[in-house]
Amino acid sequence: MKRIIAAALLAAVAAAPAAQAHGPTRKKVEEKVTINAAPDKVWAVVGNFQDMSWLPPVEKTEGKGGNEVKATRTLTLKGGPTVDEELYKYSAEQKSLSYRINKVDVKVLPVNNYSSTIKVEPAEGGKSEVVWDGAFYRGYMNNDPPPELSDEAAIKAVSGLYRAGLDNLKAKIEKSGS
Amino acid sequence: MSRGRARSLAGLCLLLGIGLAPVPAGAEPSGVTEAFVTAQNADAVDVVDLDGLKRVATIPVPGAPAGIALSPDRARVYVTAPEGKALVVIDAATRRVVQTVALGGGPLGVGVNPVSGAVYVADWYAKRLWQVDPETLAVAGEIPVGTSPSGIAVTPDGKFLLAADRDDDALSLVDTATRRRVAVIPVGTRPFGVTIDPQGKRAYSANVGSNDVSVVDIASRREVGRVKVGERPYAVALAQGRAFVTDQYGGTVSTFGAATLEPGPRIDVGEYPEGIQASPDGRTVYVANWESNTLTAIDAATLRVTGTVKTSDGPRAFGQFLR
Repeated sequence: MKRIIAAALLAAVAAAPAAQAHGPTRKKVEEKVTINAAPDKVWAVVGNFQDMSWLPPVEKTEGKGGNEVKATRTLTLKGGPTVDEELYKYSAEQKSLSYRINKVDVKVLPVNNYSSTIKVEPAEGGKSEVVWDGAFYRGYMNNDPPPELSDEAAIKAVSGLYRAGLDNLKAKIEKSGS
Repeated sequence: MSRGRARSLAGLCLLLGIGLAPVPAGAEPSGVTEAFVTAQNADAVDVVDLDGLKRVATIPVPGAPAGIALSPDRARVYVTAPEGKALVVIDAATRRVVQTVALGGGPLGVGVNPVSGAVYVADWYAKRLWQVDPETLAVAGEIPVGTSPSGIAVTPDGKFLLAADRDDDALSLVDTATRRRVAVIPVGTRPFGVTIDPQGKRAYSANVGSNDVSVVDIASRREVGRVKVGERPYAVALAQGRAFVTDQYGGTVSTFGAATLEPGPRIDVGEYPEGIQASPDGRTVYVANWESNTLTAIDAATLRVTGTVKTSDGPRAFGQFLR
């Protein structure tokens, strides 16, 4: 992720305001991980919207509203950039939450109109599967994007972020024992 | 349900004065049998049999197909390919691409004139629509509209069209004979899909930015009502006197009374519901769920989900997709 951020920092193209952003082709990404722990235990970590410490580049989570719909959080990443996010769906029963990014510099994460759902599902043998879905447009909202703000760059950045987060989540929970 | 019953139900609806979805001129006002669903992330158009609720064909269409409309005789399917920068013409019966019309720009929304058959395509990146001649499949002209035109709807008499100019927070009203914009109608924030009722009296725009639907009186060229719906509304369908609205973030279809504007129940569908259309008999509403890769059927009377079909990746079906 550090590399993603560093590479993205080199991009010198100004971000289109998120509210105006809507090109014709939205992309989706899905990453999964199986964790050797019960769904309740995994949800106790994933289901706390106010603590994103399991995602490697995040140094600090500050927010308000807890796990209520419309709760907000600001993630401060290593090196200082911030990401503003808002919770728009939350179900403890289904162990699923959905949030969107309200504000991020495309130099940090080369996406627009980003929304995401994280779900914890029961897996075989009392294990859990965590499924992380993202929907977004690329960083450049006009035709013919520069390479660092292309569809490929956006997909790569989000997949890389999810992969790093899920692998770390697994390591963290499995290490903590039951 | 049998065709006969569909017909008698449609007749009953007419007797009761219940609003029906627009019926292309000359088409039989009974049920539809197929859905053509643009699957944007799969570069394909799925054909779904609506009686058996089964996917029966997948037509490869390169260029991230999104918008969709049918010719008045329902023989042809017009699909926009934003990344291919083209309008793709599909023969519905043989399920083959018969022509790809190069347009450039960012073709997204598409609508067909139910009387003349003219095809209107919105250029997301420019303040214009292309008009494509259905006979020659050549661009016959351009129509100046507002910023980021998205959804297009044509009145049943073919005389006017409405384009949702998303980044102007307005609808353009265009005289189709002169191809001139005759009015700009302010609506909610960032209108995307627009639907005209079968009488050609009212239009409904789904306003992505303000999470509401604007109700527009076409004759007086102004907004006459505004109804709150779920998060990120995308498009509107009309059936049995109700409006049905896909809420992208909500994963729901919001409903409200078309006359009363009273909010009704919200129906859980798949994730990221987008394209929505009612069958011409007003009995069923079909919804494409972009994230879940499904097409959901809703009984428009009971407001219950009656079936779900798996589709190819990223179904959008933005426009009129029932045949």
